This record gives sequence, C-alpha cells and structure tokens, in this order.
Amino acid sequence: MTTAAATVPRAEARVSSGLWRDALRRLLRNRPALLGLFLIGVFVTVAVLAPVIAPADPLARFTWNPPSGPPPGPAANHLFGLDRQGHDEFSRVIFGARISLFVGVISVIMGLAMGGVVGAIAGAAGGRIDNVLMRVVDVLLAVPGILLAIGIVAWLDRGLVQIMLAVAATNAPIFARLLRGSLLAIRESDYVLAARALGASGPRLLFRHMIPNALTPMIVAATLALATAIIDVAGLGFLGLGPPDPRTAEWGTMLTDSTVALRSAPHLIFFPGVAIIISAIGFNLLGDGLRESLDPRLKR
Amino acid sequence: MTAPAMRPERAGRTAPMARRTHGIAPAGPLLKVEDLVVRFSTHEGTVHAVNGISFELESGETLGLVGESGCGKSVTNLAIMRLLPKPAGRIAGGRVEFDGLDLVRLSENEMRDLRGKEVAMIFQDPMTSLNPVLTIEEQMVETIRAHRKVTRAEARARSIELLGMVGIPKPETRLRSHPHQFSGGMRQRVMIAMALSLEPKLMIADEPTTALDVTIQAQVLELLRDLTDRLGTAVILITHDLGVVAGMTQRINVMYAGFIVETATTADLFAQPSHPYTVGLLHSIPRLDAERHEPLIPIEGAPPDQRRSPTGCPFAPRCAWRLPVCWTDNPPLSPIVAGTRVVLTGPDTTHRIACHNPPTPEEATAGMPLRPGFIAAPPPGVVVDELAATLDLSPAAAEEVVIMTDEGPVSTAASAGGLPLPPEDDQR
Repeated sequence: MTTAAATVPRAEARVSSGLWRDALRRLLRNRPALLGLFLIGVFVTVAVLAPVIAPADPLARFTWNPPSGPPPGPAANHLFGLDRQGHDEFSRVIFGARISLFVGVISVIMGLAMGGVVGAIAGAAGGRIDNVLMRVVDVLLAVPGILLAIGIVAWLDRGLVQIMLAVAATNAPIFARLLRGSLLAIRESDYVLAARALGASGPRLLFRHMIPNALTPMIVAATLALATAIIDVAGLGFLGLGPPDPRTAEWGTMLTDSTVALRSAPHLIFFPGVAIIISAIGFNLLGDGLRESLDPRLKR
Repeated sequence: MTAPAMRPERAGRTAPMARRTHGIAPAGPLLKVEDLVVRFSTHEGTVHAVNGISFELESGETLGLVGESGCGKSVTNLAIMRLLPKPAGRIAGGRVEFDGLDLVRLSENEMRDLRGKEVAMIFQDPMTSLNPVLTIEEQMVETIRAHRKVTRAEARARSIELLGMVGIPKPETRLRSHPHQFSGGMRQRVMIAMALSLEPKLMIADEPTTALDVTIQAQVLELLRDLTDRLGTAVILITHDLGVVAGMTQRINVMYAGFIVETATTADLFAQPSHPYTVGLLHSIPRLDAERHEPLIPIEGAPPDQRRSPTGCPFAPRCAWRLPVCWTDNPPLSPIVAGTRVVLTGPDTTHRIACHNPPTPEEATAGMPLRPGFIAAPPPGVVVDELAATLDLSPAAAEEVVIMTDEGPVSTAASAGGLPLPPEDDQR
C-alpha cells in the first residue's frame, strides 16, 4: 500500500514534465546561459526599480568646482561622477536602462508581430503570395538595418514610438524569413500529414500544429534580437535621433554628449558603454543557451 | 503447391457490422476504385505512379496491398484520401466511390469532414506521426472535437477509454504525456486509438509496423486486427512484408509499377501464386518451413522508371517467363481459369492475374521456369541475343530490329539495359 502511494506522485511528476520543463532544466545546467539570465535579471531589476535605486533625479543638476573645469569623475557622493550638465551619471545610467529595456522589448514584440504575420502568410499560402512577400523581405534585408532605422526616424520625426517602429522594421524581415522557412519544412512533416489524414482543418493545422513547432527558433531569434535592439536604440541615440527631449537619460544620447569631453571626462563614455555591453551580452548569452536547450536534437 | 510463409487462413472474421445507416444506405461495396490514374509532374517529366487500377472493398473486409517500394501502394491510398502532395501529384483519371460518394469530386471541405470520421489513415513511422509539442490529450481531443459536437470533458473521457482499448497502461496519466515520452510501439498504439476514435468505416494502414521492432510488430498487428474486427472497420493494409498480410488480410492485391498484377483471396494467393512477380516475391523471402539448403531466388533488376508511360508488361524486363508479346502488350487482369464469372470481393473472390505466360504450379513452387526455352534468371532488360532467339533472327539482324511502342520506335541496339526513356515525355 505504502509503496503504491509513494510511486504514484513520482510517475505523476515524470509524466507532467513536458517539453518546456525539459528545456528549462537543460537551460539551468548551462552556465553561460545562467550568467546571461543573471545579467538580464540585474538589467530588468535596475530598469523597473530605477526611481528606488537611483540616488538622484536624473534631471537634477549639481555644480562642481571650478565650474570652468571638466565634470568630476567617480566620487563618494556621485558614484559615476557628473556629466557636463551636472547630472548625476549613476542615476542617468540607471534611468537609461528603462528606455533601453522598454524600447527594446516593445520593438522586438512589434517586429515579431509584423514578421510573424508576414512569415505565417507566406509559409502557409506558398506559391505566388509567398514569392511576392519574400521578395519584399529580400529588399528590406538588403538595406543595412541602422540605415533603414535612420530613414524611418528621419521620415516620421523623432520620438519613442518612431524609434520602436524603426527598430521593429529592421527586425521584422528576419523574423518573417525565419518563420516562413520553418513552416515550409514543417508543412511536409509526417505529423502534419497524419493530422490532415484525421481531418484537421487548415487553420487548426497552421495554428495548432505548424506554428507551435516553428516557435523555438523564433524565441531564440527574438532573444538575440533584443540584444541588437538595445544596440540599435543606443546607436540611434548616438546619431542624435534619440528621444525628442535631449535631456532624457538614454545611453546612446549620453555617449554623444560625452564625445566632446572624451579626454577630460572619460567616465562619461565608460559607464553608459559598459551598461550597453552588459545588457547586450546578457541577451546574447541567454539566446545561445536557449538555442541549445530548445533544440530537440541536442536532447540528452 | 507453394507452402505459405505463414498461416494464410484467417479463421472466419466476424461478419461485418450492419452498416450505420444515414438515411438511405447506398447499395454496393464500401469502396469502389475504378480506373484510378495518378500522375506526378516533376522536373524530370511525368511520373506514371498509378496506371488505371480498379478494386472494390466490402464493409469490414481486410485487403492487403503488396509490392516493392515505389509500386504505387501508398500513392493509391493517398489518392483515395485526396492527400497527394500538391502541386506535383494529381488524380488524372478514374473514380473513387466511397459509401456512395465520389471522392474525386468532393470539395476540400467535404473531404476534410470525411477524413478521420469515415476514413482514417495511419502511417509507417509512429516516431514522427505525432506532433511533438502537443500532449496526447490535446491531439486526441482535437481529433474527436473536429468531427463531433462534444465537450472537452466528453472527448477526454472517450480518449481515456480509447487508450485503454489499445492497451496503454494508466491512460488517465499517460494522456497528459508528450509523444517523446512514449516508445515507438506505444506511439503506434496511440495512432491507432486516434484513427479509430470516430469509428471510421475504412482504415488505411500504410506499413504500420515497418518501423517497429519485430517483437512489437506482432502485438500491434494483433491489436489492429482485434479492434477493426470488433468495430467492423474495413482495412486496407499496405505492406511489402508478405508475412504480415498472410496473417492479417482476407484478400490481397499485388501491385507492380502502378498496376495490380494479381488479386486473390489470401488463401488462394499463397496456395497458388500465379503471377511471376508474386512468385518472385514469395521466393525472395526466407521461410521457416523451407528445405535447409533451398536457395533464395532474388528478383533481378529494379522496378521500371515510371517516367516513361507503360508499354508492354511492366514486369517483362525482370521476368523469367517473358514472351515476345510481353514487350509490346500489357495484359489485363483476367481469371486464372478462363471463362470464370468474376467476383470482386468476399471469400469467393476470383483469382485474377495480368500475365501472358503464367508459371505452372510446379514452376511456382520451384520459383523458376522449368519449360525448355526459358532460363531461370534472364538478365534484366531487352537483350539482343534473346530477341534473336525468340524472333529467330541472326544476332546481326536482331540489332537492326526496331520495336514499335506507343512512344514511337525503339531500337534494340541502344537498349541493352531495357527499353530506353523516350526523349520527351507527354504532359498529359
């Protein structure tokens, strides 16, 4: 009796451990991915809790002596020093995480949505529709991403929404091509034929059988795209196409400001630069880890 | 008499269940395939996959389709299901009548409604036939709810019942598993459960045990037989394993190059194999009851290139019994005893073959021609010497012979490897 009672929950646990749980277990055994997860965790915490963590208002201005000299570097009262306008650099780096995270995530989601719809239509419809859509994607991919983004921001004027749209537009064709390719392969798979032989309808085949199986490469690509999105946002900011209010704490814009004082105040380029690198590395490490843990061929 | 490889007799299957009547029950067989022609358009030309085959199937009957890979067995059934790969494959002619409906003319929606509910199909490789990201429950419930207006809970209860029927232990818990947590045999059981979940009238099993361990094969076949017996489901079993059909089926169609070359009840076919191809198949597999040193006789050569439209008997290039007429005339299926009234289904099915020069029973037993003028294993293809001998010409003259085929003249000089491909294939 007791043995039976003891075995039941174990069988239960084994059975309910699905694909995702297996993938998670593999991910948690992957050290670089864990480091990535940790870095992202720090990044997200800082972004969310920015008002709590930051010692000063990012727009508050402090003074230094002599006022004609370069802004002071790291010190006890201002951990990362002050920038040329007298803002607390530490607080600005912390608040900058908010914009990077927010714009990065939203733009990747928008890119996923746009690319996903186009890729799904192309992959499911095939034939002429597929051909036309993929040629458009080819053209978009032929334009360098940052150039496309600059063009869109220049066309639509500066603003956060425009930045998101611009970054999304550079991501979307990548997602579209990826999803379409996966769907074409999956369309020929045995389980799709088997499902058709049991009377599954077109939409059900697409949404229940084909897209879920195409999802894992999309998740990996989206994670990696977050890294590029953060860099792209900073790049736009650096080129002066950042948020419309130039005082807004945004990493790329902060870098531009500091190029003038590169020699006298190197801390101004160091801290935002490190912040960009760390967040990008975090998403890259996680993306690679996800690729390994979600790929069924690497299953042990 | 050739002793069958396994017991062909299948002690009286239960009588087919009375057909579920929706309004007026249509008269005639459950499935009637008439002159079915399937073509594939490829970059290298048109592939003549199925070349006008006809057969019938009664409710509850079990029919085996036997032949080498590429003989059109699977294509025939994909055509019946209207699941030919698009856009290459198409039904180029003929009728498929199922339960009074002409399947070739049904709309895609009507056809989808039929699949799973009236006709179900299971495939060779259970490892890849289940969707890896969905649980068994999701896949089974979805299949049931695609055709029946039942609640999720009802469909789930039915799924548990079905998994129990196919011998999955602890079905309530296993229902929540993903396919990768099952072994191959268990997955094929799940596939069978799904295919039978709506009690279809016809189940097509395409080499259902080829990918399984030999020990599991028998279990799965036994299960398939029991369940289809109990539900009165007609079965088309595709296989290249004569041992499998011997124990499973009531009738057999032997297919070669998109033609049916022999059709008979299973007992008749094993008792008196009458087409050279069937004889060849039977002699190319080892038998437990064979004499110790009896050699296996392989069928020389390979199935023909089906990009050329068939002229003559498709088996002629590999046949030890071939006559000159075999190169130019493809014989129709006719009773082995001339003048017999043809019965197409049931235990009294007429034994028919498509052959100009069938092996005698003694030759069928020996696996090779015993008459003078034939050699045991002629080299595949048209050979000049052979042509010279059969047409009574000098070898030099034989090299000048031009055979008139439907494709135009074919010279023998260039055709030592069989009739050559015509230069340009028709795009019918």
